[in-house]
Amino acid sequence: MAEHTVASFDEDLRQISRLINDMGDLAGSMVGAATRALLETDNALAQRVVSDDAIMDARQRELDDRAITLIAKRQPMADDLRHVVGSIRMAGDLERIGDLAKNIAKRVGSVGISAAPRDLTHSIDSMAQLVLIQVQAVIQEYTVGDASALAKLRNDDERIDVKYTSVFRELLTYMMEDPRNITACTHLLFCAKNLERIGDHVTNIAENAYYVLTGTQLPANRPKQDETAMSAPAA
Amino acid sequence: MKPMLSTDLNVPDTAVEKAKIEVKGLNFYYGQSKALKDINLSLPERSVTAFIGPSGCGKSTLLRVLNRIYELYPKQSAEGQVLLDGKNILDRSQDLNLLRTKIGMVFQKPTPFPMSIYENIAFGVRLYEKISKAEMDNRVESALKRAALWNEVKDKLNASGQSLSGGQQQRLCIARTVAVKPEVILLDEPASALDPLSTAKIEELIDELQADYTIVIVTHNMQQAARVSRQTAFMYLGELVEFDRTEKIFTSPHEKRTQDYITGRFG
Repeated sequence: MAEHTVASFDEDLRQISRLINDMGDLAGSMVGAATRALLETDNALAQRVVSDDAIMDARQRELDDRAITLIAKRQPMADDLRHVVGSIRMAGDLERIGDLAKNIAKRVGSVGISAAPRDLTHSIDSMAQLVLIQVQAVIQEYTVGDASALAKLRNDDERIDVKYTSVFRELLTYMMEDPRNITACTHLLFCAKNLERIGDHVTNIAENAYYVLTGTQLPANRPKQDETAMSAPAA
Repeated sequence: MKPMLSTDLNVPDTAVEKAKIEVKGLNFYYGQSKALKDINLSLPERSVTAFIGPSGCGKSTLLRVLNRIYELYPKQSAEGQVLLDGKNILDRSQDLNLLRTKIGMVFQKPTPFPMSIYENIAFGVRLYEKISKAEMDNRVESALKRAALWNEVKDKLNASGQSLSGGQQQRLCIARTVAVKPEVILLDEPASALDPLSTAKIEELIDELQADYTIVIVTHNMQQAARVSRQTAFMYLGELVEFDRTEKIFTSPHEKRTQDYITGRFG
């Protein structure tokens, strides 16, 4: 894309892109660290995720300020307008991803060392890997401007939903087997739910990024595979 | 070049509405120099259309063709068709006075006549109609009300039109235009010399007038085009590059040249 006649306009837009990239990197590292802290019961790492959330919030406030100022000063049009408004919305989703990662990190102490849930870490681990790949890919594809990759990535959320359904059922089974597992499994269930919600925010980001790049919206309906709200597993 | 029209089903397609003016294969020359190149455009009735583009792109020229005002100048000629309700106004047999009662024009610089506010409006009406003093009083009042100027001037109708502020003078010119009951109003940069409050009043007026008139506005202010118009034509170097719904032009235009112009990346 050609440069603007007013060079400082380009610089203002670059600052907003830089913040989205920073927030995307931070979100990826927070999700990765929160899951590792959970799986390895690493309280120090969990604490780092909690403190990173404050950085995430500050980045979002800075982006809001810059975007609002840019709109007031430049009255952006067409792709510039989509870029600025899309960035505000993507920053909102990235900030929520940070909150959810922090929530996972805060449960690390509560899950504690318990034999039965340790067996479960494999399922949660593979779910977390799926989520982490999505979080890292979405901002990367947006930065390189690959709209078709974003459309595919949005549909890939289906795999996270399927995984979540399976973790949900496994945890219920553990709880039914031994009531002493209930506390730890409940916390793990919240963690799995948080991972699933992170996947939903990635989907929102992919939809926004697609609109910013192409000027058209992806179709409203996409596959939904989270079945936990529809039926309880058979005992 | 064929202008692009959106096929989005959620919004009314301008092509299916009744066209008030249809421009077909229009070329325009200043002497030997070709200023408009094969323009094809359909302006829907009772709706605002904006022409945008850099200086010298032909947008004002196109506006001047629509009421044949260019004929006041030598060595300017148009070929092709401009159909007003299906009748070609470029035809030699077209009565120019009649044409200009149907298609009124307001210019960038307010042009009140050096006479009273009342006479500024009555003067034009008298050229075409013989009406009584009482009828004329009514006509002047309703035109001034239509132009949102009545409350400001009703107690000084005999004061000179030139004693008014710039914004008031421009609204007086709009009142003068609507007084002869036109069908189409052409606005050539009507607010570019006005302060923001006067500009807002003119824009409010355009909003109201479109219920009864077909309006075409040329403006350099893209936010203004985005605010007041329902469809926008982007012109460049005498060509119509893109013509579409205003929301589409300003959020996701089809043509790269349109995008570059409206985002300030031109040249």
